[in-house]
This record gives sequence, structure tokens and C-alpha cells, in this order.
Amino acid sequence: MKALKPWFACCLSMLMLFFTVIPLASAAQDNQKVITVGLSADFPPYEFHKKIDGTDQIVGSDVEIAKRIAADMGATLQIQDIPFDSLLPALNSGRIDMIISGMTPTEERRQNVDFSESYYISRQVIMTRVEDKDKYTSVDSLQGASIGVQKGSIQEDIAKDIKDAKLTSVDRIADIVLSLESGRVDAAVMEGPVAEGQVANHDDLAITSATIPDSDTEMAIAVKKGNAELLGHINGTLAKLKQGDQVKKFVQDATALNSGEQQKSNNIFTIFWDYRQYYMKGIQYTLLLSAAGVLFGFLIGLVVSLFRLSNVGILRWIAVTYTEILRGTPMLVQLLIIHYGIAQTFHIEFSVLESGIITLSINSSAYLAEIFRAGIQGVDRGQMEAARSLGMSHGMTMRSIIIPQAVKSVLPAIGNEFVVIIKESSIVSFIGVADLMFQAQAVRSITYSALNPLLIAAAIYFIMTFVLSKLLGMLERRWSVSDKR
Amino acid sequence: MINVKGLKKSFGKNEVLTGIDVEIAQGEVVVVIGPSGSGKSTFLRCLNLLEQPTAGEIYFEDELITQRKYDIDNARKKMGMVFQHFNLFPHKTILQNLTLAPIKVKKTNPAEAEKIAMELLHTVGLEDKRDTYPNQLSGGQKQRIAIARALAMQPHVMLFDEPTSALDPEMVGEVLEVMQKLAHEGMTMVIVTHEMGFAREVGDRIIFMDGGQIVEQGPPEQVFGAPTHPRTQDFLSKVL
Repeated sequence: MKALKPWFACCLSMLMLFFTVIPLASAAQDNQKVITVGLSADFPPYEFHKKIDGTDQIVGSDVEIAKRIAADMGATLQIQDIPFDSLLPALNSGRIDMIISGMTPTEERRQNVDFSESYYISRQVIMTRVEDKDKYTSVDSLQGASIGVQKGSIQEDIAKDIKDAKLTSVDRIADIVLSLESGRVDAAVMEGPVAEGQVANHDDLAITSATIPDSDTEMAIAVKKGNAELLGHINGTLAKLKQGDQVKKFVQDATALNSGEQQKSNNIFTIFWDYRQYYMKGIQYTLLLSAAGVLFGFLIGLVVSLFRLSNVGILRWIAVTYTEILRGTPMLVQLLIIHYGIAQTFHIEFSVLESGIITLSINSSAYLAEIFRAGIQGVDRGQMEAARSLGMSHGMTMRSIIIPQAVKSVLPAIGNEFVVIIKESSIVSFIGVADLMFQAQAVRSITYSALNPLLIAAAIYFIMTFVLSKLLGMLERRWSVSDKR
Repeated sequence: MINVKGLKKSFGKNEVLTGIDVEIAQGEVVVVIGPSGSGKSTFLRCLNLLEQPTAGEIYFEDELITQRKYDIDNARKKMGMVFQHFNLFPHKTILQNLTLAPIKVKKTNPAEAEKIAMELLHTVGLEDKRDTYPNQLSGGQKQRIAIARALAMQPHVMLFDEPTSALDPEMVGEVLEVMQKLAHEGMTMVIVTHEMGFAREVGDRIIFMDGGQIVEQGPPEQVFGAPTHPRTQDFLSKVL
């Protein structure tokens, strides 16, 4: 086994490089006090993406509040855009300091986090297709209807109380709009100002006259349980804001800002052209993630496959367990465990990009390990015998003779894995990595166009994978030519 | 040089070698013949421990190589082996095939290793192939390269495991010629082969194996001319 050591050293140093280089980028502003706010930026007018002076910014009334809190504390504000139902885990794992995302302090949430005084009261409305506007004039008329709500939201709780209602819970407001427009749901329970923003941009949608009893909901800021110091600062700022009725003004300003953003045309080409920078940035992240995932997956997978083929029982057992667990669990689950679970349990905080790369790397390493194993076993036994008969050690033979041939024979399969990873990397948008899927979601919430930004993303994914497959095919043919006599 | 005592080898329940005692002297050319399945290849592969013997002792240059802690790589440096299917390294050039082990194992400096390699390529008549890859060679050329590759380690003994069995008939001659040259230069050789004419001509001693045992051995003229054992007579009557 001693001959394997240089390999270990090599892989270890690669891994260490990986863990040291990447955080450098994010650790630069440690000496200044930073306060990190988590929000789900698809909720105009409270929080949403907007292109201002050509750059994408997260704006809204909640953002204004966050700015005031940070200013009062003398801290720099950092905003993280996280899907709504991932906000609480993000807070509890310490990735964000507070949530300002139109969140209502329900009993259930109070058990997990502490809330500030409420800063705004919103009312809930029912949104439907225009032609159904007069069909649903009261909550009772919604009996038996299918209703779209945002997953983990207060609206979901409200809708649950409607008799016989069939709930469809989705991640994004844009998905609710799409569900309404495509007839998958009949109505949606939504925050008043949020619904107004949607109706203003979708001619086929309307707000009904129905009022939902006892549905006025408070909004408050969540902090980690027991963080009384921060809560004190927050309540202090909120008290000041309340005096001048500032919050209401923030909401009005944000509504105006939002409606000023009328998309000229929802033509798919216009959207692509107007938001090409979003997509370009997304492509960069997607390619970076995929390339890093395959590279590290390659190295880890090679080590795992050597473990798998080793004579040492415990190493074989480790390798089998590793590959079976990683191949037998969904990548999304792995991603959330690595991003939130590890931070909470071991207090190791990976940035979203690191978590994304780690997940993609270990996940693809499990598949690549099996590919390598087949490749190594596929090398003619005579190669090992010939090298050993020349006095070369087992490790030396593996390195100079077996692995180079195995790698060459599995290169097409590795290329395939790269193609697969490009597509599967889209799940990292769940934790907020600004990849192609994430950007598509941002464009959806900016443009109020629910479908076209996704079609653009689909086209880009397709072009990337198609071109890559063709390139790999060409490479493969060239290699196989040199193998022939 | 090689001393084998009570060598036994089983694969599972199948006993392939049932007890072999033989001594091979410096400079001797020993040719092992016998019907297929007689254990002659297994015997040869036991000599450099490509097969781990089930029982028995093997001494190489007075060292017991079958003892537990013995570093077999040490002995293999001095025992060249040529295989039926050549087993050249397909991802390396011919020159690299010859220089890889000397550089990696013997730590010969690359220039020196290349010099030795080129001399050997000259000996086997394939200098012009130095930068080509094995797949571009004919079977006979591959086997000549394989012999040169083993010789590049400057071994004290060469083991040949049916070196011509995988070759087209018209290519057998060129390989035997190289082996003959080697024998004349005084190399100690153990050859498993079906080429009876070659065995008779080049061998100092012929070993006839059957059923995992040495049935008869002696100088070629004795074994081929006047075999004493009925199984030897039977075998030779079929192949000659």
C-alpha cells in the first residue's frame, strides 16, 4: 500500500487547494462588521430583483428596512436571495443573521426563531383568471377549487382552512402565475401588494372582491432564537421607522418602483436580449460548477475506485458505502445537508458556491468511481503481469500502466458525466448559487413573464450539452483513429 | 542459479503442479515441453512468483524468494519474462516501452537507458520503430520488442512463456532467431514452447512435463532421440 501514498498526497493537496482558494474571495471583508439578511426576492413590492443602471439589484420595502437597521448598527449590509422555505434553515444554521422577507410570526415559526415587533400589516387577496373574477367573490365560493400558494408561506396556512380546497404549493410566485394561466389552479391566495404587482403585468389575471376573514397578517423580522442583542437593535430601528409611518412609505415607493418596470414586450427574444447579462453570468456559474464538479469528482472518484479494488477489506467497505449512499440519495438532499446540515452541526460554513461544488463533486465522484472501476478492470491482465515481471511495484504499475489506459478508455464516459452534471447542476439554485437556473428565476420575477425565461434557460442548457456532446464525439473519433493500425 | 524444491501449485481444488524439483545452472538453456494442461506455463510463472506457489521453495541466486517477507520486485529486476501475448504497453512508444522500467525501477538515468534501449533495438532489428506505438507493429515485431524490453533491465535469466504461439507462422522465424542469438551469447534461459525443432537445436536440456510433474529430462538428443518414458514417447510421436 505504501506506493499509493503519492496519490493520496496529490489528491489531498488538490482538495486543500480547493478549500483554501475559494473562501479567499469571500473572506476579504472580515474586519468590517457585516450583517447578513436573508430574503426571497420574488415578492414585490417587499423584495424583488430590478435592473438599475444596467446592474441587477435586490430592492423593495424590506430591503429599505434592512438598510436602516444596518445603518443604525454601523454595519455593512449583505443580502442573500434564498427561496422562502429555505430561509428558516439558513437562519438557524447561522448563514444569515436575520430574515426580512414579509414573514409572518406564526406560532409554529416562533418555536424555532425569535421575531421582532411587527412592522407592517398586510391583507390577503384572492387572485384568479380574469374570466373567473366574478366566480369567486367570497371565500365560501372557493370550496372545492384548486388553490395555488407559495410553499411554507402564511398564505398556505390560510388556504388550508378553506373547506375542500385542493392546495398546490410551489416555490415561486412566478410558478403560481404560471399555474393560474395554464389552468392548473383556479385561484391563488396572495399578499395584496404582491397580487397587485402581478395583475398590473398580466392582463389575464385579476383580483377578486373576496375578502378573507381574519387574514390580516403581520410582518416581522426573524432572528436566531436567543439573539436578544440583535433583536434589540432591530426593534429600536423599527420603533423609529414607525413614528414617521415610514414603512408604509417604503411600500408605496417600492410599488411605484416596481410598476415603473413595465416590460416593453414579453417576446422571448426581447427578454433574452434585455437580460442577456443575467444569462451570461448564469452560464459562467453553471460551467464553473460543472467543470469543478467533474474535475474534483474525477480525482475523488479515482481514489474511491482504487479503494474499491484494494485488497484491504476496510477500504473496500468504505468505497462501497460511499458510492452506494451517494448514488442512492437525491442530490438535492445531499446539497441541503451539506449546505445547512454541516453548518449547523459542525459550524463549518461553506459559501453557496463551495456547497454547490462540493455536492456536485462528491455526487459525480460516486458515479465516476464506478466508471473507473470498470475501466481499471477492463485493462488486460497481461499489462499488470508484464509490468510486475519487469520489477515494477504494484503502485508504480497502477500509476504508469493501468490508470493511464483505464482513464483513456473511460474518457467518453467522463465526458458524458460532464454533460449530465451541466443539467443536474441546476439544483444548486436552491441554495442561491447564481447559476443559469437561478438567473432564469430572477428574470421571471423581474419581467413577470412566467414561462419565457425558463424556455430561454432550457435552450441554453440544450445548446451547452449538445455542443459538448458533439465535441466529445469528435475527440473520441480522433482518439480511436490513433488506436487503429 | 535457480533451484526449485518440492514446488506445488493448486488453483482451488485443481492441483496443477504436483511437486517439482529442478535446478537451473548459469548459462543453461532449458526448454520445457509437454502437452497442454501439463502445467509447464504455471511452472514458469511460479519462477518469478506471477503465480504464488502453494508449497515448496524457490531459490534464485541463493536467495529464498518464496519466504514471506521477501521483496519479489528485487528478484524480478533480474528475471526477464516474455509472454505469449506480448503485453507491450500500448500507450507508450517503443522506446518508452524499453526505458520505462530501467528508469523507474533501476533509476538508470534517462540518457543511459535510451542508449541501452537503442542498442537492443539494433539487436532485434527494429531501430526505426523507436517512436511508433505497439499497435502499429506486426506480431513478430511486437514479440521482438517484448524481448528487448525484458533485456533492457539487463536480467540474469530470461523466462519465455510460449513466445511464438500467438504468431502467424511466417513470423515465428524472426522471433526464434533473436532467441537463438541470445542463447549463443550465454544468457540463462527457461523456455516453454511447442517448437520442437527449435528446442532440439537450442536447448542444453529438455524437460518433458505431464500431469504437473517432470516426467523425463536430459540433453535434446537423449529426450528426442531415445525417450525412455512411455508418455514422452507418446507425446513426441504425436508432435514430431
